[in-house]
Amino acid sequence: MFIRSHMTPSPITVTPETTVAEAIDVLQQYNIRHLLVVDGEGRLQGILSDRDLRSARPSTVARSKEREQVEAQINSTPVSVLMTRDCLTLNPNATLDDALLLFQSRKIGAFPVLNEEDKVVGVFTTADLMNAYRCLFGLGEKGSVLISIEDSGDPQAMSKLVRVMEEKQVSFTRLVRTGGGICKGKPMIFLRINTYNVRSVHRALEAEGFTIHVPEEFR
Amino acid sequence: MDNEPPITIVTAPAFLRHDTGGSDHPEAPERMLAITDRLAEGHLANRIRHLSPRPAMRSQLLAFHTEGWLFRFEEAVLSGRTYIDHPDNQVGYDSYEIATLSAGAGLVGVDVVEHEPGAVVFCQTRPPGHHAEPNQPYGFCFFNNCVIAARYWQRQYNRQRICIFDFDAHHGNGIQTAFEEEAETAYVSIHEHPSFSYPGTGWAEDRGWGAGKGTILNLPLSPGAGEEQVLRVLPRIYKFIQQFQPDALIIGAGFDAHRDDDMSGLAFTVDLYRQLGVFVREIAREFTGGRVVSILEGGYNLQKLGSCVEAYLVGLVEME
Repeated sequence: MFIRSHMTPSPITVTPETTVAEAIDVLQQYNIRHLLVVDGEGRLQGILSDRDLRSARPSTVARSKEREQVEAQINSTPVSVLMTRDCLTLNPNATLDDALLLFQSRKIGAFPVLNEEDKVVGVFTTADLMNAYRCLFGLGEKGSVLISIEDSGDPQAMSKLVRVMEEKQVSFTRLVRTGGGICKGKPMIFLRINTYNVRSVHRALEAEGFTIHVPEEFR
Repeated sequence: MDNEPPITIVTAPAFLRHDTGGSDHPEAPERMLAITDRLAEGHLANRIRHLSPRPAMRSQLLAFHTEGWLFRFEEAVLSGRTYIDHPDNQVGYDSYEIATLSAGAGLVGVDVVEHEPGAVVFCQTRPPGHHAEPNQPYGFCFFNNCVIAARYWQRQYNRQRICIFDFDAHHGNGIQTAFEEEAETAYVSIHEHPSFSYPGTGWAEDRGWGAGKGTILNLPLSPGAGEEQVLRVLPRIYKFIQQFQPDALIIGAGFDAHRDDDMSGLAFTVDLYRQLGVFVREIAREFTGGRVVSILEGGYNLQKLGSCVEAYLVGLVEME
């Protein structure tokens, strides 16, 4: 659950003197969208996004002569002029949940990850967050199926589910109970099982009084 | 009777020796008997000839699988293990040997089609194959029989453009792994939607990538889907195969989408398998000069499996 395990370590960085043209080349070469700006000691000075760089360039509808002049000027500008200096950072021991909430509330796409000495040790982007949750929830794991069970509110539902899986010797890797809070839709319990015989699991759960949820359009 | 072509069934009594532990394991030896009995009793009986498979050679298995997996599989069965990686993948002492024979059934099928143009060939084999990955068994599958047959067809007879059409209720993740980056092979699968069914792969959005972009056609079906939904997607499959222009077709013929088969929530009828047979015959005649080999994948309801296979074969040979 900690950023340390899910960040991109030793990210590509530039110095404040790097020009805009050079920074654009670096973004394209590595196919990345965020660039950390560090000093000679590796301490964070700011962050640049591809959007910062794009919006600094003249509009494509500007008159061509004017555009060339402005473009040449921008290209030779150091990134220190454009970068966001006062950026939010994460500690390697922050959690994925911390990052998700910050991504949402601050509407940003990447966090520099700094150690105790304020040196850059990694970068954590929304793509890293999606990959991390994909791993946590086992999405796309071959051989697994997610079962949705309607949650009747039975306080013992989770322990009953585990017991049924153990009795049927069905291996499962995730058991998640939603509902309440900010979740939309009916309260649900999600169970990721690893077996070919999905129907027998359905039957075993139904025999215990659970209702397998199948969306209306799939009935 | 004279102008009725024979149906070649490639099978062996040895397939009964792949021991999946008895009790209630669905991939049971009785599946073979259910098919054999039904075909012997039915009206196709006097058109059927049986051929024996030969074991696939190591080099032929390595056309898809890794050396590491071959060693691991053989060692596991010889050391007395009862399953590999997951209790679904039950094995017995003879399972490695039988799996090489199962993979070899498709090779014999390909030889028959090449030497007898227009031959109707069905490989009645187990263990099945389409879930097997290069280095791992999945869902009762150890060697990917369809992919191994495809590689053999390419290498032995220079039929480079191979299309596998898989109508098993489950997505053939291993076949997709083999083909998804290649331009010269294609994979079409109809299967129960991955949100509801093993192995959780086979999304419509997967269309192949790199050189293989556009060579994968996944057509997931909603739980409960049957004849109406399948007949609706056949024109898309026809068009895809027409565009791909294959030299040869391999059919992953699974029968577990039958409404009484517990292994899926689909609701195919026996007659739908006949219609699938007619469709396969038509696409083979139109696009591959009749070069098609069908290889058994799933199908676990012992009361229905024989009838489903028989109906499919009827469709393959039915006179227009």
